[in-house]
Amino acid sequence: MPDAAPLWAAVVLPVALVVAAVVTAGFDAVLSGSAERGPAGGVREAGLRATAPLREALRLLVQQPRRTTAADRLLGRLGVVLVPVAAVLAGAVLPWGFCAVSDPSVGIVWFNAMEALAWAAVWLAGWGPNSALSLIGGYRFLAQGLAYELPHMFAITTAALGAESLRVGDVVAAQDGLWFAVWMPAAFVVYLLSALAMAFWGPFGHPLSRDAAGGAEAELAGVDRLVFLGGRWLLLVVTAGFSVPLFLGGGHGPLLPGWAWTLLKTAAVLALLVAGRRALPVLRMERYMELAWMVLVPLTLLQALFVAVVVLNR
Amino acid sequence: MDAWQPMLVLLGVVGAGLVGLYGLGLWLAAARAPLETGPFAGGLEPGEHAVSRFHVRWYPVTMIFLAFDMEMLFMYPWVKVVSEVGTTAVVEMFLFLGILFAAVAYAWREGALRWT
Amino acid sequence: MDLRGLVRRTAMNRPAVLAVTLPGATELRLEAEAEVRRRGWPVAGAPAAADLLVVCGVPAPEDAEWLDRIERSMPEPAVRVVVEDSGQVDHALGMASRDLTDRAVTPRGGHMDDRSEAPVGEPGDNQRGEHEGHGDEHGHGAHHDNSPPAAPEGRGHDDHGMGHSHGGHAAHSGHEGHGHHRPADHAAHMGHMDHQGHGDHLDHQGHGGPMDHMGHGIHAMGEVAGLPMAERADDRDELRLDQLHVPLGPGLSDWPAGLVLRLTLQGDVVQGVEVDHLPVASGPRPPFWDEPWLRAAHGEEVTRGEAVRRRCAAHLDSAGRLLALVGWDDVAVRCRRLRDELLAGAWREGIGGDLRRTVRRVGRSRSLRWSIAGLGELPADRARAAGVTGPALAADGDVYDRLLMWLTEVERGVEEVDDTRPLAPDDRIGPRGRLDGPRPPSQVLLDVLPGLLTGAEFACARIIVASLDPDLDELALATVPGAAHA
Repeated sequence: MPDAAPLWAAVVLPVALVVAAVVTAGFDAVLSGSAERGPAGGVREAGLRATAPLREALRLLVQQPRRTTAADRLLGRLGVVLVPVAAVLAGAVLPWGFCAVSDPSVGIVWFNAMEALAWAAVWLAGWGPNSALSLIGGYRFLAQGLAYELPHMFAITTAALGAESLRVGDVVAAQDGLWFAVWMPAAFVVYLLSALAMAFWGPFGHPLSRDAAGGAEAELAGVDRLVFLGGRWLLLVVTAGFSVPLFLGGGHGPLLPGWAWTLLKTAAVLALLVAGRRALPVLRMERYMELAWMVLVPLTLLQALFVAVVVLNR
Repeated sequence: MDAWQPMLVLLGVVGAGLVGLYGLGLWLAAARAPLETGPFAGGLEPGEHAVSRFHVRWYPVTMIFLAFDMEMLFMYPWVKVVSEVGTTAVVEMFLFLGILFAAVAYAWREGALRWT
Repeated sequence: MDLRGLVRRTAMNRPAVLAVTLPGATELRLEAEAEVRRRGWPVAGAPAAADLLVVCGVPAPEDAEWLDRIERSMPEPAVRVVVEDSGQVDHALGMASRDLTDRAVTPRGGHMDDRSEAPVGEPGDNQRGEHEGHGDEHGHGAHHDNSPPAAPEGRGHDDHGMGHSHGGHAAHSGHEGHGHHRPADHAAHMGHMDHQGHGDHLDHQGHGGPMDHMGHGIHAMGEVAGLPMAERADDRDELRLDQLHVPLGPGLSDWPAGLVLRLTLQGDVVQGVEVDHLPVASGPRPPFWDEPWLRAAHGEEVTRGEAVRRRCAAHLDSAGRLLALVGWDDVAVRCRRLRDELLAGAWREGIGGDLRRTVRRVGRSRSLRWSIAGLGELPADRARAAGVTGPALAADGDVYDRLLMWLTEVERGVEEVDDTRPLAPDDRIGPRGRLDGPRPPSQVLLDVLPGLLTGAEFACARIIVASLDPDLDELALATVPGAAHA
């Protein structure tokens, strides 16, 4: 059922993801701005605030490159670059409507494998600069990975189980009638949490937290910083966007064409995450670990069991 | 393998984009030669290099994580055959998961999931 | 006009600010924060991300070294601004922004260029000359006196004079100037001067091999680039683990001005801590947060409303800091905004609703409570024994209790901000405790820190520090009126 996308889609996809990331970051900047300085006085001011991420990118482009004494430049740079690379490669299996850049038979495993690169990326970026605070930040992400990854994997296998396929196109097709989010709510919620954790953003931003002067990003300047932080937004867009084919019926929906539904649903999920982030402080893993293993893991396991029983009986 | 060809193209596109971005940065940078500096911890100089053997106190968690992570290798192919194999597939998988989780519960009771 | 210049100019319209506060400059910090916020400039937490270093307060000669260190680790374009007097922030930031644009548009090349340029005088000089004509009332001519008055410690800096022949040193002493502005040419000159004496090893830095970094010559074994590698030491569980000695502060953001914690870290566990601080000079003005009570003690007329207002603002400041550290920015920035509105003289009716909403939001958050409860337990009996008097004693508990205590006091206090009755002259209970005790309340808080921090995780340690929020300005309170008969 899913069409093979033409090869030029591989060029369009990164651009589309970057645009989505800029819009999301802009929305976030508008919300932050109104908390910090009160609601925007008018459309013009709101627009100015929304362009903050772009202006920040420009500022970073003008900065001089920077390195720290006896830094591990190869690994550090590798970590920085891995973030956007992992995000975009994971995005390859994101169906736009019903058509993805690529739809391999193990698309879900591919997605999981790519986003797991974030583990390496953040740790390497923290290790590279030879700075105590950034090292602490890098290690924080490893602990975070240990906490979010299992519930996350159970959540996505639950969706795959519902379709009895690891192909993303099949998962979308299986939701023609009923969205998975409706009968796998626990998996959906856990997936959203782990999407944030994977993008080390919002309540899961501890690896880059202020208390460690930026943690893994503390020593990054210029383009390195832009690539790392921009890559983080890409990762957020991709992981949030992947919840649409997994749980929200992909391009299925009345009236509008498939691509429009994908766009709408992705925007809704991102808006929910960006707005919802404001309700929570950062979660520290020494507290979250226990919750992840003793509540989220059994919860997703029960969810998977429930889905397995449904699959057996249909 | 035509499913993987677009991935390679994508990798190329991203790589080219990153090279372009770094190039643009070099063109725009207020100073091109990199700044060489010490690490930041508030302005004072640290006593040692930071690269060190880091005291990872969540080490036990990594062990149980590995056990579960290996289990995922079985679970991915398993999802494709559930209705084919039938009830035994579900029973066996969740028995396995149940045993693993019992180990997690034990580790939790022993305090492996807390470290402060 | 060339495209590149235009882009660089646009980029520097919105520089990122790293604000560093020296002891005794709380009021300047608040002004700077408000001004940066008004301009919509981003705030950086580390020099790598920053373009503009804003130093609030009058640097002592000892401060030159670490301030320079921070400035030197900021990538170009970078400018340092020193704000020494209130009312000058706007002007200083405006000039700094112009300077930044200049630096961005006329970039320096590599270090080689700088060296050859330096003796001749560099392109920025003219612009700097202009600034003098701007009517800022500095008493000194040489503007770019970015060299420290004292050579920063004895690590081969004796080659100090070379490379920059702009005699700015003398000007340093003549600092009565206001809103002082130092367009620091760091990268061009002193930023790299410590390398200059040692040949061109800069080019092969970063290989990780042993190298002669700061003029140390051949080192003892185990030193790489002028620093030793971590050594192992016993930890609390009798394991032998790598140990790092990291001095935290004083340039961190959301950090008590002037505080330095010399941490011994194993992984991210604080194994040992030594509390230190920058020199605190007793200035002409009393500590900002204690001002109303001290003025009343000196017999001045102070209204109760004024004192309550200051107390609420102090607590909102502390709460904002703590909330920023636990990563709840949304509420943290609201606290800061309310703090500034209170200090600016907002009426009860104007601010009460907003304030209650924010306080309630914090109180209702279960995730916040779950996240920080149990950290930094300071039961009342231990606190009393240590001599703690203020909200930290009344809270009788952990970080979360102390946060709630601040917010409760704020909520209660906001009812009285318009009270015009005079403050009783014997009321000496400032925001952090009794001002007429044998020691200033913040000194007591500093004294309890090591016990609370040892064994904590790095993140927890910072949260605990913020939950006590010692105000180092108070250390200048050598003679508190009435202290003798306390």
